[in-house]
Amino acid sequence: MIGKIRFLLAETGQNIWRNLALTLASIIVVGASLSLFGSSRLVADAVDNATQRWEGGIEFVVFMKADAEPSQDEAIQTLLTESEGKEIDSWEYVDKAQTFEEFTEFFADDAELLATISVDTMPPSYRIRPTDTDAGAVAALGQTFESRPGVRTVVFASEVIREIQTNADKISRSTLWAGVALILAAVIMILTTLSIAIASRRNEIEIMKLVGASNWFIRIPFMIEGLVQGVIGALIALPGLAFVRTYLIEDFSKSDNLRLLEGFRVTDSEFLVISLTVIAIGTAVATIGSIFAVSRYLDV
Amino acid sequence: MIRLENVSKEYSPDSPALINANVDIEKGEFVFLVGQSGSGKSTFIRLLNREEKPTEGKVYVAGKDIVGLSSWKVPFLRRNIGCIFQDYRLLPKRTVSENVAFALEVIGRPRHVIEQQVPAILDLVGLSEKSHRMPDELSGGEQQRVSIARAFVNRPLILLADEPTGNLDPSTAVGIMRLLDRINRTGTTVVMATHDRGIVDTMRRRVIELADGKIIRDQKGGEYR
Repeated sequence: MIGKIRFLLAETGQNIWRNLALTLASIIVVGASLSLFGSSRLVADAVDNATQRWEGGIEFVVFMKADAEPSQDEAIQTLLTESEGKEIDSWEYVDKAQTFEEFTEFFADDAELLATISVDTMPPSYRIRPTDTDAGAVAALGQTFESRPGVRTVVFASEVIREIQTNADKISRSTLWAGVALILAAVIMILTTLSIAIASRRNEIEIMKLVGASNWFIRIPFMIEGLVQGVIGALIALPGLAFVRTYLIEDFSKSDNLRLLEGFRVTDSEFLVISLTVIAIGTAVATIGSIFAVSRYLDV
Repeated sequence: MIRLENVSKEYSPDSPALINANVDIEKGEFVFLVGQSGSGKSTFIRLLNREEKPTEGKVYVAGKDIVGLSSWKVPFLRRNIGCIFQDYRLLPKRTVSENVAFALEVIGRPRHVIEQQVPAILDLVGLSEKSHRMPDELSGGEQQRVSIARAFVNRPLILLADEPTGNLDPSTAVGIMRLLDRINRTGTTVVMATHDRGIVDTMRRRVIELADGKIIRDQKGGEYR
């Protein structure tokens, strides 16, 4: 068994060495396509995180004081209920516990910050969808809440947020499509590299068949070669993704001129999920390319 | 050991390569296939190691019908059949011993078996001294000996030889035939397609003559004619 494995690995190594330039080209195409794909997912996650509270047509949020009296809270709720169907289309209440939960989830990787907060210090809030979404009407409606007792502040989804949502969506969608197109190119590249490897070893394959090598024994070195291209391609995409996360997304969110983008960041768990997805796609791309190549070009 | 029952092979409808062949070859026999180019000799050989399937009829090797053999079992059939060719088919970037070892490595034989069998077979074919040479450093006769060593290293039941002396001068060809005779005497069945009248007439073994895909003569102790 050890002898078999050693032979198969030696054959794979020889294949790669003989076909080095094309193998490197395949790895680079896989790496580039997965970097683009992963980056589009990173940007999408970062935008989601930054604009989470503004999704679904929510135009402004009324934050209560953390120590607001229950009666003050009730007064706001009564007002909202009365206005429902008139100025206000719908609203939702986010209590202290839910706010705490969202906060801890979002800052899961910032233990220092989490140590300073508790459920009681969290401000409850009302997320409001007005009937009239015209900027002036929204501002007028929001301001009526500002002076109410127990209200700390009213935060509006500005035009800037809406534009960021739309544009970031466009950017992440177009990079996603470019990534998908390149992933297809990567499959074709792996397929071509393997077909050339198979053609260049035609004599060996013929002799292997004649002396009774099993079909899988003939196929496996080529399949491992494809897999190596996909997995290494995916692995070289990961530092690229870490770069996008650290230097583009996080630095962007720290910019003083772009206060609105606070929260434009990717959590560790989101980054892990994207990295694993990229590795899985790299492996899948390689597997598909390899299976297609050996079934099409390797007549055993 | 080998049996063909009403075997026909057509590559295209108007040019049959083999027509209704019926042959029985016993274990340990040495059989010459003779006939002009295109008479069906190579097709005969290719049917025996399942490189081709007959259009009609049955082919039995070691008692098993190999026509209906599923494709994953074909490699196991071929482990019992050694093949040698006119053009040797050696791997140019491997040494003599690596070429022979290759046949064992690809069927998963353990290293210690390979290390034991390769020198033994190279000794049998008289190439022990040249085990580290590359194929292009050898004469034609020596290359054919390497090819025979590779075909026989796994001790197959049958050795198929398609014009093995076709590229060799007469004296070298005699050496190759002595080697094949020696292998045959170990009990291995040898089926050899040839054009070499001198060899057939000298060895006086069973001769199957083909013409236009038909067996026109099957004679024990025969001559070339």
